[in-house]
Amino acid sequence: MILRKPRYFVREAARNLWHFKARHAISLTIICLSFVILGVFLCLSNNLREKSRAMAQNLAVVFYLGESVPAAERRPVEEEIRRSPLVGSARLVEPDEASARFLGDFPDLKDIVLNLGLNPFPASIEVSFKDPATPAEAILAFIEGIKRNPAVADVQFNRDWADKIASLGRVAAAVGLFFGGILVLAAFFIISNVIKLIVIARGSEIEILRLVGATNTFVRVPFLLEGTILGAAGGLLSIGLVFILVRLFPAAAGQTLGALQELIGFRFLSLGQSLALVGGGGLVGFLGSLSSIARFLRT
Amino acid sequence: MIELFHVWKQYQKPLWALSDVSLSVKKGEFCFITGPSGSGKSTLLKVMYREVVPTEGQIIIAGKNVLKLPNHRIYAIRRQMGIVFQDFRLLFHKRVFDNVAIALQVLGTPVRDMKRKVFIALRMVSLQNKIWDEAASLSYGEQQRVAIARAIVNNPRILLADEPTGNLDPDLAHEIFGLFREINKQGTTVVLCTHDKELLRRFGGRVLALHEGKLLGRETR
Repeated sequence: MILRKPRYFVREAARNLWHFKARHAISLTIICLSFVILGVFLCLSNNLREKSRAMAQNLAVVFYLGESVPAAERRPVEEEIRRSPLVGSARLVEPDEASARFLGDFPDLKDIVLNLGLNPFPASIEVSFKDPATPAEAILAFIEGIKRNPAVADVQFNRDWADKIASLGRVAAAVGLFFGGILVLAAFFIISNVIKLIVIARGSEIEILRLVGATNTFVRVPFLLEGTILGAAGGLLSIGLVFILVRLFPAAAGQTLGALQELIGFRFLSLGQSLALVGGGGLVGFLGSLSSIARFLRT
Repeated sequence: MIELFHVWKQYQKPLWALSDVSLSVKKGEFCFITGPSGSGKSTLLKVMYREVVPTEGQIIIAGKNVLKLPNHRIYAIRRQMGIVFQDFRLLFHKRVFDNVAIALQVLGTPVRDMKRKVFIALRMVSLQNKIWDEAASLSYGEQQRVAIARAIVNNPRILLADEPTGNLDPDLAHEIFGLFREINKQGTTVVLCTHDKELLRRFGGRVLALHEGKLLGRETR
């Protein structure tokens, strides 16, 4: 019988949404803000994870050679590295090239470097691996082997960074879920109470419906629909706001963030995450309505 | 169709709204319940559609003991009834159409049929020209007629009416009684509470008299 009345349910839900628009605007704002916070943290987490993934794919080790190592002794180290079966490519970067690269990346610091009167950059050998998924243990063993060469002064391995950034991404998602979760819970209670007020306001109508033979389901469905629409609309609105924030944030704060801009930039939500926000909003609205109408119908 | 066995109802001690009431209304019968104000007429109707649960006794409606049925079965029985409440119970912020259509909406009647049936029911109570008016804008008598239209719109098997003509002028009251008679002739069982002796005298029929919650022994026809 319920299937024969979708028009009635939709009309009743729409009528309630319009009739109690002020109350609904408050709930909508709360739901939207809750999901915006969740969405912003998800975007931050997305960016950090993406950075970590990119770093892991460009897995590289840089061997810095001692300043006292003459140019003629640098090539044999490069040759030794190339002989490893793990190595995809190895490239010797001379001090002049390293200096030029630095000045190209950071032109503002040009004067400082030139005022030193000497080139502070050591020669280095940049190594990338054949397989990006090479186990860390194998790479560490390879590094230990090369480090035994007295020409090698220091080693930089970016896998640690990739791991750290990945864990930072996980922390950002967890913080977002924590604060977002608290706000989503608050949104649940707010929707529940707004629907409860509407149910009480429509108490006489519900009583009449029951006296003319309406089942609890018939009474319940428009309210559930109302809560679900409200929640999903809040989720949808939050996606729009997150989109604006993600677009505006780099424009507003990019210059002041400098090198950090890359790290804490935002990557917009994936399709799955966007759908989860809308679906989550709808679910919160549905459950909020269900709890209040169930309590009312029990009495 | 309607059977009550030793029904007692007490809202507040020590008064009994109904005292050991037993009665039987056959299918297709037209039955008046009369008595002075506070005699228990409304309570008697309310226990029939189980808005009120009796303190003791059994109530059988259409072969089913309504006191033992789960809620969803009670709603199914109510969908076969038409009820005219003494206080009308209209939705004053809604239109006349919506107030009458509510009884069809719970049945899942298609919109086109709903419009036709609502119009016919309102024409029966001479309110077809007020179909799109707000219920709150109607006079007391008109509101009562909307309540009657809502009760008859779904062609009920049982019609329960509590003082349905209490606010109508004599001519219209006469007309509404005539309407109930017509509905009864089509097979609907009608139980009607009234204290209007003039109408009882004019229409005749089975009359059950209540006094201080007790069904008096004498029954008139």
